[in-house]
Amino acid sequence: MSNTVIPLLLDSLASAALIFFAAVGLTLVFSVLRVLNVAHGSLYSIGAYVAASIGLFIASRQLSPYLSFAALLCSAVFVAALFGPLIERTLIRWTYGKSEAVQILITFGLFLILEDLQRMIFGVQSLYEDAPVRLLGTSQIGGVVYLNYQLLLIGLAVIVVIGLRMLVRHTRLGRLITAVVADREMAQSIGIDTNRIFILAFSLGVFLAALGGALAMPTSGVAPGLGADTMVLAFAVAAIGGLGQIEGAAVASLIVGLARVLAIYYVPSLDAVAPYAAMLIVLLIRPYGLFGSVSARKI
Amino acid sequence: MRLKTCLAVLALTVGLASSPVAAQERPSSLGLGIFTFTSGPAAAYGMPGKNAADLIIDDINAKGGIGGVPVTPIYVDEAQGAQGVIAEYRRLAGDAKNQIMVAALSSANCLALAPLAEQLQVPTVGWNCDTHQLLIDGKSKYMFRPNGNTIPEFIAYAIYLLDRKPDIKTVAIIDPDYAFGHDAANIFTAALKAMKPDIQIVAELFPKLGSPNFQTEISRLTAARPDVVFSNLWGADLENFVRQASPRGLFTSSQVILALGETVLQRVPLPEGVIVGVLGDGWWMSPDAKANSETVKFVQTYKARFGEYPVFPSIKMANALIYVKAAYKTAMQKNGGKWPTRDELAEAMKGSTVATLTGTTQTRADNDGLVDQIVGVTVKSPDQVFPVIGDMVRYKGDSLMPQTGQDPIAWISTLKPEFVKTLPKPGSYK
Amino acid sequence: MRAAYAIAAVLVIATLPRLAPWLQFVLTLAIAKGFAALGVAVLLRAGLISIGHAMFFAVSAYGVAFLARAGVGDLATLLVLSVLTAALTGAVVGAFLIRYRAIFFAMLNLAVSMVFYALFAKLYGVTGGSDGLVVPIPSVFGAALDEPAFMRILFYLSLTLMVLVGLAVHRYLDSPLGHALSAVHTNEIRLEYLGIPVWAVLLIAYTLSAALAGLGGAIAGFAIGRVVPEFAFWTASGHLVLIAVLGGIGGVPGAFIGALFLEMVHTAAVTVTDAWNLIVGAALIAVIMFMPKGLYGLVAREEGTKR
Repeated sequence: MSNTVIPLLLDSLASAALIFFAAVGLTLVFSVLRVLNVAHGSLYSIGAYVAASIGLFIASRQLSPYLSFAALLCSAVFVAALFGPLIERTLIRWTYGKSEAVQILITFGLFLILEDLQRMIFGVQSLYEDAPVRLLGTSQIGGVVYLNYQLLLIGLAVIVVIGLRMLVRHTRLGRLITAVVADREMAQSIGIDTNRIFILAFSLGVFLAALGGALAMPTSGVAPGLGADTMVLAFAVAAIGGLGQIEGAAVASLIVGLARVLAIYYVPSLDAVAPYAAMLIVLLIRPYGLFGSVSARKI
Repeated sequence: MRLKTCLAVLALTVGLASSPVAAQERPSSLGLGIFTFTSGPAAAYGMPGKNAADLIIDDINAKGGIGGVPVTPIYVDEAQGAQGVIAEYRRLAGDAKNQIMVAALSSANCLALAPLAEQLQVPTVGWNCDTHQLLIDGKSKYMFRPNGNTIPEFIAYAIYLLDRKPDIKTVAIIDPDYAFGHDAANIFTAALKAMKPDIQIVAELFPKLGSPNFQTEISRLTAARPDVVFSNLWGADLENFVRQASPRGLFTSSQVILALGETVLQRVPLPEGVIVGVLGDGWWMSPDAKANSETVKFVQTYKARFGEYPVFPSIKMANALIYVKAAYKTAMQKNGGKWPTRDELAEAMKGSTVATLTGTTQTRADNDGLVDQIVGVTVKSPDQVFPVIGDMVRYKGDSLMPQTGQDPIAWISTLKPEFVKTLPKPGSYK
Repeated sequence: MRAAYAIAAVLVIATLPRLAPWLQFVLTLAIAKGFAALGVAVLLRAGLISIGHAMFFAVSAYGVAFLARAGVGDLATLLVLSVLTAALTGAVVGAFLIRYRAIFFAMLNLAVSMVFYALFAKLYGVTGGSDGLVVPIPSVFGAALDEPAFMRILFYLSLTLMVLVGLAVHRYLDSPLGHALSAVHTNEIRLEYLGIPVWAVLLIAYTLSAALAGLGGAIAGFAIGRVVPEFAFWTASGHLVLIAVLGGIGGVPGAFIGALFLEMVHTAAVTVTDAWNLIVGAALIAVIMFMPKGLYGLVAREEGTKR
């Protein structure tokens, strides 16, 4: 038994890192804009598709494989720049002040549109480009060989958590966001350009979603249906952590990652049930999530 | 206003209705409903099937069609799910021009469509329906399965393994989580345990079909350190699994068996020494295939048109269509040259023996097909950039099948270790 | 006058399969989804949006499959028992969920539905896993039927149920209980002060909506002949909400209009284009933004009016 403890922990962390990247954008967007973006999963998979396409292009032209790392980041930036302001201005802004049902329906419609757009642009086959994985090599830990790429992702996830926290607490933009979250009308009346804040916050959410997809792509590839599957996982994590809570999302990712890994190691037939069962259990004890509250006004 | 709307709706629906065709006169075209995956992770396995269908049907039509009637394929994408597949089957079956269905790829869809075939009385050729659950009640009249059955397919791997590595003790299994995966696990395990009772199964993982990420499963497998890892993952799942497992040393720490490994030989870098097969006899480089001029031509045309060599799903589809063509020939011989009805076609398929691109398929009384099984290991080849299958063995179709009506798993548990000795050895098929 | 249109519509639907036999299956399925969408619409009246009602659709269909496997062979019995199963599940799940509102209600419904989905998909030995279970042709009042005859009976039965159940639900929505639902949406606290227990109003509505979804699921199970875990997937629930909205919520015909319209257009469009989701998504957005009739109650509610 003891020789499985370290692999168990490492697998949980590696899993949690991927899950965190999938979910953090969703909870961030909710905290600032109070909108639950059902199309979040699609933006994740678009990020993965763009990263795969750029990666395959780099490989086909036989350019330096190290460029593929830059490709991952560039994909996320590209997707955020293209879709962030566009979606926020046309669809999301229209839903402010309307009921949540309307928001959910509008973003669900967007999800459907984006799913078909992906099929039309990127085709229906699965794509895979693993140059970043191959370049980084492997390490043996606890008797099991791990990809250094997996360890890198764990590190990146930690950096993102710390980075977001610092953004909110220690930068001017962060303070503006906090003000807008706390009281929208008040923020407007003291001269804060809330429209700009909303565009920025939403684009940041899109960036994180696309980055998640891009970072996962070298280890998991991308195929049609990835968006829908990721969406519900992101949902589960955001719900467990408390909607709008970044640290909550991190803790929730750890819980879901651990639950999934424990299932695979000991009760393989329940591996798909684990995230939802975890969500149900947490919500039964704390109905608004671990760090959430009814008003959910803190970022 | 109300009347106008009613009339408009009426006109629309009359336009949609299809006119029935009298069975005896030659129709303008022969419709074949062909079910495969053309999108999603399974398309990596399904598209070679569609490509082969295109090639064979173009070839048939170039030679004048079947009985002078051109063939029109109607492709149904199985990725839309059971509901859509069933709806499409019903829709196609409702048109008398569509006489035969070639369905399906996924065992789930095969199991869903088989009762429908019987209810709607449409001859259905299961081109990839190898799940042994399919014809288990022996009462099928319209469902046929010329390409073989999971029982001999997976027993073959057990026998090859024991022949090659008689001293193995621990086995881990990672199969997709549906009928095909569970069947393979049961059959392989039962066969191993019957012929070498001290074998231990140390892990059984069933990831969801279409899972992109196997990292945790790979950790679990390598932590358990089994002598053998058996997998019948397929499609993009298999490609992902190989890509993810290879750098992590799974292929060096265990003897890996990839039951559907031949499909990814040209796509992912498989190391040498992996036990692979073709779930039947559809290996385009087998001695029998190379000796058959029609097969050689097929392979060359396929490579020229699609840029890669035909993998065994292509051969299965091609053989299924040859089987359909043979059914028409037999039916028309029997009824004096008239265009056959659906029932006459089903009659023609019963008990038939058809020469395929890579061997022979024999249809038993319960509509099950007997084909030989080819298994080997991956070896480097001087002629190709990708590894090929070497050290091959060819097991005869009927040597690994239970009798008609016998419970397959019960039959497997009656096998003894001596059974291995009665069969050909690895490397004997040259 | 409205009744005349309704009767005409029902008659048209009833005669369509004479002209295009394969339409019968599509129409039966549309009516099944209409029932489920009606269940969602009932809750929408209270301002509660459930993105998880496909779970009751699935529970009922699986119920039919299990009961059939256990030997229950009669159509009427199967229908009644499976709908009761869905209603019971709804009551149990609803007792927990109706404490929530707005986003949390939506999310928790989704969460619970995905638990069902995962269980259906993973318990291979019990539920057949992702292959699902077969739904055999039941006997109708003792008579064993062949497939074409049964499908015809199923179609006309669904049509009849659509009319009867639709009338019943219409009565319910017009009754004090139904009006209380809208009142919950407008101002819940005022309702409590009037002495009406909100939890009871909502629980009854939730159970009813689960039963409606269950009725749809049972019909769909019979029509398709197979039940698979995808019946419970969250996008299936999303489509139910979509149907309810497209048709125009608030009225019983809305759910069925939406379902029939969507299925017919889908069948026609799928032969021409692959971009079905795109069309539906765009249509949904267009309806919400530019045709708020029926959505009027949702759209009009501004943030801040309810504390």
